[in-house]
Amino acid sequence: MTKDPVGEPPELRPGRILRLSREGGFAHFPGLARPRCIHCSRCSKAQLSELQALLQALSGIPVGSAGNDRRQFCVALVDEGGEVIWSQVVAEESAPQPLLAWWRRAEIASSQKKTDGRLDKQAPD
Amino acid sequence: MSASNPPAARPFLPPYLLERVASGGSPRLRECARHTLLVDSRFRARAGAVTLPPGSQRRGEPSRYIHSAEQQQVLPGRLMRREGEGDSGDPAIDEAYHGLGATYRLFWEVYRRHSLDDQGMALLATVHYGKEYENAFWDGNQMVFGDGDGELFNRFTIAVDIIAHELTHGVIQHEAALEYAYQAGALNESLSDVFGTLVKQRQREQRVEEADWLIGEGLFTERVAGRALRSMAEPGTAYDDPLLGSDPQPGHMDQLVETREDNGGVHINSGIPNRAFHLAAMALGGHAWERAGWVWYDTLVDQRLARNSDFTAFAGLTQDNAARRFGASSEEVEAVREAWRAVGVLP
Repeated sequence: MTKDPVGEPPELRPGRILRLSREGGFAHFPGLARPRCIHCSRCSKAQLSELQALLQALSGIPVGSAGNDRRQFCVALVDEGGEVIWSQVVAEESAPQPLLAWWRRAEIASSQKKTDGRLDKQAPD
Repeated sequence: MSASNPPAARPFLPPYLLERVASGGSPRLRECARHTLLVDSRFRARAGAVTLPPGSQRRGEPSRYIHSAEQQQVLPGRLMRREGEGDSGDPAIDEAYHGLGATYRLFWEVYRRHSLDDQGMALLATVHYGKEYENAFWDGNQMVFGDGDGELFNRFTIAVDIIAHELTHGVIQHEAALEYAYQAGALNESLSDVFGTLVKQRQREQRVEEADWLIGEGLFTERVAGRALRSMAEPGTAYDDPLLGSDPQPGHMDQLVETREDNGGVHINSGIPNRAFHLAAMALGGHAWERAGWVWYDTLVDQRLARNSDFTAFAGLTQDNAARRFGASSEEVEAVREAWRAVGVLP
C-alpha cells in the first residue's frame, strides 16, 4: 500500500530510478520484498519510452483485489534527490507481463533497505 | 541494472532466487523460477470471480468442494473432490479436503458456527494453482493454494493451520470485516493465525504446553533456515535465512513496526496480538480452544468490533467478553488483561 502521489506518471529521465517490488502473500519475507531498481541513466531512449508507456498504462489498472494474503506489485519512481515522486500498486494477477519482465531482470536493491517502507536514496551512476 | 537488452531476452528470476541463481543455481531452480509468474493474464484476471456452489442446509455438516487449477492460474479449476467422496490419492487435494473439515469441525463443534457465514456456505478450495506458485490466499470467495517451488517452499496444503488461516479470513469477512491495513489488518491476520493454530492443536488433541505455537510448520523445505512462517510464542524467531531474511515480527508494542509495506505491516505486527493470545492461553492452561479460544471467538463476532479497530480496542473487547462469558472477577479476565499488558497494549 502507498500514500505516495499517484495519477500522471512523471517523465523518466537520467538520474531517476524506477523501483519495482513484489509484496504481500501469506507471510512477509524481507528478503523477497526487497525492491529492484531500473536506473534510467542506463536505459536507451527506446527502453525509456517503453517504460514510460508502461507507467502510463498502470494508472488504469485496479490497485488491489478482494481477499487476503494476496501479492501485489509496487512501482515507485525516485528522483535525483532520493524522493519518491510517483508510485502505484497493482494486484499480482493484474500486473502487465512487460512489467513482470522488467522486474525479473532488474537488480536487487541494497539489503540495507529501511524497514519503514520508504525507499533508500541511491546515487545514479 | 544494465538495461541494454530487451527484457524478454532474460530468464525469469523471482527476487529471492536471483542471488542464488546468480551464484550458481541449479538448472531446475532456474526452470521453477522461470515459470512462477509466466501466466496468461486472461486467466489471472478471473481470480475472485467464482460463483459459489450450493452450501450445506444441515447444521453440523460441511459442504466441501476441492478443485485443481492444474498448474494454471484459473479459478476455480476442475472439480476433483466433493463432500462425502473418498480420498483421491492426490496429497494436495486430500489435505485441502481434510483441512477444511478440521476447520469446519472446530467452528461447529466448539463455537456452534455453521461454516464461514454461519449459514452453511460452501467451502471451496483450489489446489495446484499456478506453476510452482509459492503462496496461498483467500480471494473473497474461496481458498487458493500453490504447490510451492519445491526448492524453498513445499505445497501450501501441507500445514493444516495454513488452511484454517485462509478459512478464518472468510469468517472475519462475514463478521467484523476488519480492514486489511495497519493494526486492523494485523488483527485480521492474527485472528486467522489464532484459529489456524487452534485447528491444529485440536486436531492433535494438544494441551497448551504441548503445542508448538508455530504457523506453517512443514512449509519450508530443508534448504531454508527456519522452523515455520511465524511463531506465536516467540514472534521474530521463526526463521533467519539468507534468502528470506529474518522473521520481522515484533512481540511487544515497543517494537511495533511502522511501515507501508505489507499493507502497513499486517503480517509483521500481527506478532503482538498473536503473542497476547499465546500468553492468555498459557496462563489458563488446558486446551486453548476452550477458554482463550472462546474469548477470542466472542470478540471476533462482537458487533462492537469496528472495521478499523486497533490493538487497544480489540484488547478491551476481549476483556469485556471474558467477563461476560466467565464472570467479571474470573481467572479468564485476569489472564486476558495480563496478556495484553505483557505485550504493551494495555498499561
